[in-house]
Amino acid sequence: MIGKARFLLAETGQNIWRNIALTLASILVAAVSLTLFGTSQLVARGVENATQRWEGGIEFVVFMKADAEQSQLDAIEALLEESRGEEINDWDFVSKEETFNEFIEFFAGDEELLDTISVETMPPSFRIQPTDPDAGAVAALGGTFESKPGVRTVVFATEVIREIQTNAEKISQVMLWVGVLLLVASAIVILTTLSIAISSRRNEIEIMKLVGASNWFIRIPFMIEGLLQGVIGALLALPFLAFARQYVIEDFSESDRLRLLEGFRVTDSEFLFISLTAIAIGTAVATVGSILAVSRYLDV
Amino acid sequence: MIRLENVTKEYNPTSPALIDASAEIEKGEFVFLVGASGSGKSTFIRLLNREEKPTSGKVYVAGKDIVGLSSWKVPFLRRNIGCIFQDFRLLPKRTVAENVAFALEVIGRPKHVIDQQVPAILDLVGLSEKSHRMPDELSGGEQQRVSIARAFVNRPLILLADEPTGNLDPDTAVGIMRLLDRINRTGTTVVMATHDRGIVDTMRRRVIELKDGEIVRDQSGGQYR
Ligand SMILES: Nc1ncnc2c1ncn2[C@@H]1O[C@H](COP(=O)(O)OP(=O)(O)OP(=O)(O)O)[C@@H](O)[C@H]1O
Ligand SMILES: [Mg+2]
Repeated sequence: MIGKARFLLAETGQNIWRNIALTLASILVAAVSLTLFGTSQLVARGVENATQRWEGGIEFVVFMKADAEQSQLDAIEALLEESRGEEINDWDFVSKEETFNEFIEFFAGDEELLDTISVETMPPSFRIQPTDPDAGAVAALGGTFESKPGVRTVVFATEVIREIQTNAEKISQVMLWVGVLLLVASAIVILTTLSIAISSRRNEIEIMKLVGASNWFIRIPFMIEGLLQGVIGALLALPFLAFARQYVIEDFSESDRLRLLEGFRVTDSEFLFISLTAIAIGTAVATVGSILAVSRYLDV
Repeated sequence: MIRLENVTKEYNPTSPALIDASAEIEKGEFVFLVGASGSGKSTFIRLLNREEKPTSGKVYVAGKDIVGLSSWKVPFLRRNIGCIFQDFRLLPKRTVAENVAFALEVIGRPKHVIDQQVPAILDLVGLSEKSHRMPDELSGGEQQRVSIARAFVNRPLILLADEPTGNLDPDTAVGIMRLLDRINRTGTTVVMATHDRGIVDTMRRRVIELKDGEIVRDQSGGQYR
């Protein structure tokens, strides 16, 4: 058993070494396609997270001061209830605790930042869904809250954020489709690499068949070779994805002076999920390429 | 050990390579296949290890119908059949010992078995001294000995030889035939296609003669004619 495994691995190693240039090309195509795929998912998640508070027709948010008194909160609440069914369709109160929990989820892993905050420092807020979504009407309505006692600021879902949202979605879509096309290319390159590996070893394969090597014994080195190309490509994509997460997405949100896109981040668990998905897709594509190659080019 | 029943093989429908051939070969027999070029000798041999399937008819090896054998079982059939060829088919980048060991490695034999059997078989074919040579450092006769060692190292029941002396001078060919004769005496059935009149006439074994795909003669102790 160990002897068998060692033999198969040695065969695989030799195959790869003889075919090193094409193998590297194959790995790179897999890495680039998975990077694009992963980045499209990162952007999509980022947009989703950033715009979460703007979902369901919410057009502005009234942030209270962290030290606002209960009476001040009650006053705003009374005001909102009064207008319900008129200017205001619906509204939602987000407490200090809820804000804190959202914050922790977004910034998980950022210990430095998390150390500086507590439930007490979180601003409670009201998320408001006006009856009339017209920008002018929304601005006028929101403006009436700005001067109320205890209010820190009113943030609007302006045209700008809608625009950023749709643009980011478009970018994400384009990256996704280019990524998918490259994944198809990746499968084809793996297929070609294996067909060349197979034809360069046709003498060995002929002897193996002649002396009674089992069909799987002949196939396995080539399947491992193909699989490795996909898996290594995927592993290579991970640092690129980490880079994309750190420097592209987060710089973008930091440079956003209007703080409209505050929360344009990808959580650790989302990043982990996207990374695992990329590895799974790389493996799946390589498996398809390998199976096609051995069934088409290996007549066993 | 081997039985062909009314075997016809057509690569294309117009000119069959083997026509309604029937023959039975017992365990331990030594059989020469003779006939002009294109008469169907290689086809006969390829039908015995399932390199080809007959168009019609039955082929039995060691009591088993091998025509209907599912493809995953074919390797196990081939482990009982050694093959040698006119062109040796050695792997050029492996040494003599590695070429022989290859046949055991790829059927998953453990290393200690390989380490013991390879030197033993190289001793049998008289190549112990040259086990670390590369194939291109050997004479044709020596290369054929390596290929015999590779075919026989797994102690198959049957040895198929397609013109094994075709590339060798007469003296060297005699040496190869002595070796095949020795292997035959261990109880291994040998089927050998050949054009070599001298060998057939001196060895006086069973001769099956093919003509345009038909068996026209099957004679024990026969001559080439
Ligand atoms: N793979 C193949 N495809 C098509 N036709 C083939 C194939 N192999 C052999 N033939 C044909 O079948 C016939 C018998 O060929 P075979 O190779 O069995 O003859 P042979 O007796 O071995 O000849 P030789 O002495 O030249 O080796 C020939 O007409 C040949 O052209
Ligand atoms: Mg022939």
